[in-house]
Amino acid sequence: MDRTRRRGTRLRLALAGAATIALLGPLAWLWQASLMPGAYSVMDMGYADYGGALTHVAGTSEHAEHSQHSQHSGHSAGHSAGHSAGHSAGHTGHGTPARSLTSLTADPDREADVAITLVARKQRFRLPTGRSVDGYTLNGTSPGPVIHATIGQLVQVRLVNESVPDGVTLHWHGVDVPGAADGVAGVTQDAVRVGGSFTYRFVAGQAGTFWYHSHQVSHEQVRRGLLGALVVAPARPPAGAVDVVALMHLYDGARTINGREGDVRTEARPGERVRVRVINTENGQTPVWVGGAPFRLAAVDGTDLHEPAPVRDTAVLVTAGGRADIEVTMPGDGSPVRVHVGGPTGVVLGSRSYDAPAVPRPAIALDLLSYGTPAPLGLDADRPDRRFDYEIGRRPGFLDGRPGVWWTINGHMFPDVPMFMVAEGDVVRVRIVNDSGEPHPMHLHGHHAVVLSRDGVRATGSPWWVDSLEVGAGETYEIAFVADNPGIWMDHCHNLPHATEGLVAHLMYEGVSTPFTVGGTAANEPE
Amino acid sequence: MKVVYKVLASLVAAEVAVQAMMVVLGDAGLFKYVEQGGVIDKATAESGGIQFPEFFAFVVHGVNGMMVIPVIALLLLISSFFAKIPGAVKGAALVVLLVVVQVSLGLLGHQIPALGALHGLNALLLFSAAVHAARRGRGAANAEVSDPDRPGARVETVV
Repeated sequence: MDRTRRRGTRLRLALAGAATIALLGPLAWLWQASLMPGAYSVMDMGYADYGGALTHVAGTSEHAEHSQHSQHSGHSAGHSAGHSAGHSAGHTGHGTPARSLTSLTADPDREADVAITLVARKQRFRLPTGRSVDGYTLNGTSPGPVIHATIGQLVQVRLVNESVPDGVTLHWHGVDVPGAADGVAGVTQDAVRVGGSFTYRFVAGQAGTFWYHSHQVSHEQVRRGLLGALVVAPARPPAGAVDVVALMHLYDGARTINGREGDVRTEARPGERVRVRVINTENGQTPVWVGGAPFRLAAVDGTDLHEPAPVRDTAVLVTAGGRADIEVTMPGDGSPVRVHVGGPTGVVLGSRSYDAPAVPRPAIALDLLSYGTPAPLGLDADRPDRRFDYEIGRRPGFLDGRPGVWWTINGHMFPDVPMFMVAEGDVVRVRIVNDSGEPHPMHLHGHHAVVLSRDGVRATGSPWWVDSLEVGAGETYEIAFVADNPGIWMDHCHNLPHATEGLVAHLMYEGVSTPFTVGGTAANEPE
Repeated sequence: MKVVYKVLASLVAAEVAVQAMMVVLGDAGLFKYVEQGGVIDKATAESGGIQFPEFFAFVVHGVNGMMVIPVIALLLLISSFFAKIPGAVKGAALVVLLVVVQVSLGLLGHQIPALGALHGLNALLLFSAAVHAARRGRGAANAEVSDPDRPGARVETVV
C-alpha cells in the first residue's frame, strides 16, 4: 500500500518535472539564442536579402545558390559571430574588389569651405528660460550651434569629446554624406571616447534643412540634447527673404524651439516672404499649422516640393526626425503670423506687433500624396533592379535576453533581420508595411527615397522625397530610390527607443565592408 | 507547493487590481493636465519626458502587463504541476490563456480602440480566474486537513 503510494508520488513528480522542462526548455533555449555576442559586425547580422536580383555580380549559378541559401538560413549574429571572417569574405569575394567603408570619403585634398569644431560635454545646463537640464551640450549649448553652408561647399566638422562617458558620434540626418562620414557608432566609425576626436567631411550636395545628432546610445543622447541644425542654402538665396530655423526638442518634457520654451519671435516686415525651417528632433510626429496667413509647404526633408499651392486651415504633420519648410508671405496690413509647432506656442513673425493669438489645430492634415504638381522623378520606379519588403510586425520573445513584446522585420526579430543588398546604380523599390499596431517614422541613412504610393493609392502631387517617413499603423507605403551612395546604411525607426527594441536593419552595397563592430572595445552602441 | 500556487495566484489577482488602478490614475492625470492647458501630441508622448506626474502609471501598466504578470502566470503554471490540488493545472492554464489574451487585446487596442473595451472586460475574467485558482488552493488544503490519511498536508498548510 505504502509502496504503491510512494511510486505514485514519484511518478507524479517525474511528470511535473517533465512538464516543467517541456515548458521552460524552449524558453531557456530561445533566451540563450537571443543573447548577443560582446562584439559583432552588422555585416554578419541576420540574412542577406538580394531583393530578387540573384545574378547581380558575376552571374554564376554558384552565387545564385549562395543567395538562395542566405535568404532562408536566417541565422542570428550570435551564431554567426564565430565564422564572421569566412562570412564577410563571402560577401565581398564575388568579382567586385572589396572596399573598406573607411575609403568612402569626400576628396581628401579639397580644402574645407566651412570648418567648425564641436566640443561635446556631459553637463548640467540652463535653457534660456531658466530651466536646468542634466544632459549634453555641443560647444556649451543645446541645441548645438546651427551650421550654415551653401550648396556645393565642403563642410568639415571636428567633433571633440570632452566629457561624454559613453562616447559620441555625429550623424548628419538627411544629408547623403559619403559612407565614412555617416557617424553611426559600430558601423561607420568607433564612438569617440572622452579625450578623442573625429573629423567629418562631406559636400553639402543639396540645399535644404537638415540636422545632426549623436548616433551612439542615440535614444538617450539625442533626448538629452546632443543635436543641432544644419542649413544648406541654395547658390542664389532669394533676395529679401527671411529665413528662420525652428528646431523642436523636448527637454525633460518641456517643449522648446531652438532651446527656448514659449514663443520664438522673428522680425518680418509686411509683404516679406519668410521660410520657417521646422525640424522635429523628437521620437514622435508633431503637427505644424499657421494662424494669421495662408502658407505653402515649400520643402520636406530638405527637398523642395514642386509648385506647392498656398493652403490655410490645414496642419502639416512633421515626422519624427523629419523637416518641413513652411513659407509664409507676411500680410500687407502688418499683422503678425503665428507658426504653431505642436501646440499653442511656436514661431511668431511680426514687425510692429507680436501679439498673434493662438489658433486651434485644424482638423485637416495636408496629404503630401496629392500636394503640389508632378515633376520627373529621375528614376524608373516601374522597372526596379531590386524589390524589397520591409514588413514591421510585433511579437513576444527575447531581445538580447530581455523578455518582452518586440518589433519584427519581415517576421524576424533582431538581430535575425534582413540585410538589404544592393549594387551601385540599382533602382530600388521598397514596400514598407506596418502591421505592428503603432506608427513608425522610418529613416533611411545616406539616401532620399521618393514616395510612390500609400495603401495602393499612387502619388499624384509633387515628387515627395523623404529620408524620414511616417508609416502609420496598418499603412503600406511604396518608395523608390537610386542606390548611388556606396556604404553600409542604417534603415531604422527614428522613434529611437524602438530602434533599441530591434527595429533596425541595414542597406548594404556589394563589395563594401566595415572594419567596425557593435560592442567591442569601443563599446559602440548605435541605437 | 500548494502555498506557492496559492500565493502566485493571489499575486496575479493583486497585479490585475494594480493594473486597473494604474491605467485610471494615468488617464486622470492626463485629463487634468489637458484641462490645465497642457498639450499632448505624439512627439510629447514619445519624448520620454514627464509632462504630468501621473505619467509613471502608464509606464508601470506597460511593464507590469507585458513582463511581470506573464512571468508570474508562467510560474503559477509550473507550480501547478507540483501542487497536489485537484484542477490546479487547469486553473493555472486558464490564467495563462487569459494573460495572453489580455496582452494581445492591450496591444491591439492601440490600433482598434474598441478592443480596449474588451481589454477591460477580460481583466475582470482574469481577476476572477486568478482568485478562483487561489481559492481552489485553499479549498483543497482544507479538504486535506480533514483527511486523516495524509497528515503531511497539515504541515504544508501551516507553512
